[in-house]
Amino acid sequence: MKRYNYILLTALIVCVTACRKLDIPPKNIIQDPEVFSNSAGIQAYMARLYSELPIEDFRYSPARGLNYFWIISPTPATTGEALSRDQTSSMQENFGGWSWDIWGGSYTVIHDCDYFIQTLPSYASNFTTAQVNAWLGEAYFVRGMTYFGLVKRFGGVPIVNKTLNYVVGTSTDELKVPRSSEKAVWDQVASDFDFAIANLPAVNTDYADGSRANKYVAAAFESRAMLYAGTIAKYNTTTLFDASKNELCGMPASDAAAYFLKSYNAAVMLDGVYSLYLSAWSATDKTAQYQNFVNLFSDAASKENIFVREYQYPNSVHGYDAYNVPRQLIGPNGYSSEVNPTLNFVEMFGGIPKNADGTIQNLDGSGHYNLYTNTMDLFANVEPRLRATVILPGDAFKGENIEIRRGIYTGSSTGGISPLLPAGSRSQYPTTNLVTSSTATQTPYTLPGGALMNPAGLSGIFTGDQTCAISGFSIRKWLNPNLATSQVLENNETQTWIEMRYAEVLLNRAEAAYELYSAGQSGTTDYVTDAYNDINQIRSRAGATLLASPGSMTIDSIRIERRKELAFENKTYWDLKRWRTFAKEQNGTIYRILMPFYSVQAGKYFFDARTDERNDIYTYDPRWYYEQIPGGAISKSTNLIQNPGY
Amino acid sequence: MKKLFYYTALCLVIIAGNSCNKIDNYPAPSSTITGSTIDEGTGNTVQTEIGGGGTRVELLETSYSSNPVPIYFQSMQDGTFNNTKVFAATYKISVQGPFVPIVQTDSTGTVIADSSKTIVLKSTATVNFRVQPFLRIEWVSKPVFNADSSVTVQVKITRGTNNASYQQDITDINLYVSNTQNDNGNNNYDPRYSKLTSYNGSTGTALLGQTITITTTGGALAAQDVYFRVGARINAGLDEYNYSTNDGIKYP
Repeated sequence: MKRYNYILLTALIVCVTACRKLDIPPKNIIQDPEVFSNSAGIQAYMARLYSELPIEDFRYSPARGLNYFWIISPTPATTGEALSRDQTSSMQENFGGWSWDIWGGSYTVIHDCDYFIQTLPSYASNFTTAQVNAWLGEAYFVRGMTYFGLVKRFGGVPIVNKTLNYVVGTSTDELKVPRSSEKAVWDQVASDFDFAIANLPAVNTDYADGSRANKYVAAAFESRAMLYAGTIAKYNTTTLFDASKNELCGMPASDAAAYFLKSYNAAVMLDGVYSLYLSAWSATDKTAQYQNFVNLFSDAASKENIFVREYQYPNSVHGYDAYNVPRQLIGPNGYSSEVNPTLNFVEMFGGIPKNADGTIQNLDGSGHYNLYTNTMDLFANVEPRLRATVILPGDAFKGENIEIRRGIYTGSSTGGISPLLPAGSRSQYPTTNLVTSSTATQTPYTLPGGALMNPAGLSGIFTGDQTCAISGFSIRKWLNPNLATSQVLENNETQTWIEMRYAEVLLNRAEAAYELYSAGQSGTTDYVTDAYNDINQIRSRAGATLLASPGSMTIDSIRIERRKELAFENKTYWDLKRWRTFAKEQNGTIYRILMPFYSVQAGKYFFDARTDERNDIYTYDPRWYYEQIPGGAISKSTNLIQNPGY
Repeated sequence: MKKLFYYTALCLVIIAGNSCNKIDNYPAPSSTITGSTIDEGTGNTVQTEIGGGGTRVELLETSYSSNPVPIYFQSMQDGTFNNTKVFAATYKISVQGPFVPIVQTDSTGTVIADSSKTIVLKSTATVNFRVQPFLRIEWVSKPVFNADSSVTVQVKITRGTNNASYQQDITDINLYVSNTQNDNGNNNYDPRYSKLTSYNGSTGTALLGQTITITTTGGALAAQDVYFRVGARINAGLDEYNYSTNDGIKYP
């Protein structure tokens, strides 16, 4: 019996001791001390925060959201900048589809920022004060960016500035944080950025290449965010209140000026710190101006780059070139020509012959087509920035002339060629006197001299196959001229995305200054002259003719300058939204295209300007100024009020 | 042994069969809400478009929660609505569309008017809302074919409300052409022939009360039966269109 007692005692001792030893932090889960005690852990934490920043980069489209590799419904094809075979109408962002959880994803990032902000101070003794302040500044910056990403889509959203801890078995009511007013969220964005500006150093000591935030990065984004807030306060007409009279959508117009002033002041902070890229620029040489604007998007040493997202093969890659090269430079994946700039976009630029109404002049005084030896002759004096943004028919890229031709005209040219269709017609081209090609496999046409000519250009336009320059233009911006065609592949590219560059800061400053000027505000500076100088800096670098005087400016000259400069950088979508002009521009709109034809008898080219042959109608629904809050978010948190009209 | 096996199997079948009977579910919704949105000035239904850009009915199931998530269903284009799959419950009902809102708030969010209706739905309820449309669009002369097989219509547009908050300028007056009888409007039209006109400032508003003549664009219509509708809107609410009735015409 005694023996049993001993055994029992031994067993008890063993068990109790064992129990004690089992109560240790799990070894397979990284704990706070590992993360917050050394700078490598902090870097890992930051890597995740930055990777989740809501940036509309090479991997974004409204159809499939952020961080998605497949970009075949590109953003510019929703804004009128371009036409695409895979995007044929206006659209709002598609939060439900694919893998994009904008709501839950954003609040995960906000939680991670809150957790970082709450936890780092208790480990501060491991670091210098400067390090701790800088990292806190970055966490506030990321949180501000995330709220910005939410408020520009939804208006007022819940503000959650501390981590919520749910105890299993208790009520979930505390977790159902209601939406704050839209104004409160914009102010939250401003205060997060202000904290970041105050705490970040001038140069990020961990990474100084623009991929991590510094003081001026935060200021640049504050200038953008406050400009958005100001324009929404001024131009928005949709309102939504909750039962406590919080204005969830819309802000008092009287708040606009204060936001514009914040935007202006933030932009001015970057004065002299960053500058427009001018490395290859020359005041007198249009070719140099063109090359300079091309280089701007690939020169890592550019002082214009403020904040960038870098990619690395094979962990983080994109396929911009694969989707967008002209048809004749098609890569092995078989994609090409997803972004084809519209004639509406091209007509914003100077240096093109134009009619009194601003449309391109393709007819002579007697109503016949103007004739050109080469297609590029029409664009002989074009603004260099346009050539660097759009591949014009016949322009050179990767050592080839990009050949864009709709067909061969075999009719008479005696006495001039009359338009193929009546002005404004949306019908198909007549089939008589026209030789065209339905695909890239062409049957050459024999010209009178015996020479052969394909009916369509090598990059289109093919009547039965839209893998070509369907608008008569192909995209140039961001394309890498040094990428071998065999490497033009999806998920293979690592070109850096420039999310914020100094040109935008100047444009923010000009727009905010002009809005302040129109509101009758006057500061220590003369706002209208400031705006005028900003715009002329941009125009001078672009090779455009300068604005004559401050008095000749309107708000539209500033907006059009912005659309030209930042085109195809996924910014225009948000600009049209915040100006509340989307629904006016896309109001049963069919975008215009420019079709080059070759006349056999004249031996010359002519251009026909018409509406999109596919008759794709763009109509932007005004409800979309405030996006639909995902149904799943409301089911989980029933205090959330849906935006109007959904 | 074999007997025991069969008995066990039989028991299992009985148990399984019994548990299947206990379906933990509600009966499918079978009540009906029907009604229309009526112009209180003319007594006609308020024409709209189908889909997200037109009139819709909002149901707040107040017997379920004091703060329910709203349920919506769309009106038909003639301004009537009918939903035969609604749970029997107490609802606060309103309609939203191109008319002075049923629930109005001022610029600070204070509710200044609320003519929502509360019903206890058992089997069928008919709910008619009398509203003031932003605009009334009436035919002056029905569509007629011209010699070149284009079509000309004449309409008159007047305001449907005296409410000072809804006297904005007319921004668009459009003639829609469609081959579809029950879906013709800004959401669905033939772009080749429809004539869309936008107005800046007060130029559109100046046409109020006048006979407006609109001809289709793009030359001769295709040889099909077609439907015509004129839509117009002001910059109020969600910028929805008011419409004339939908009028069909035989190709000559």
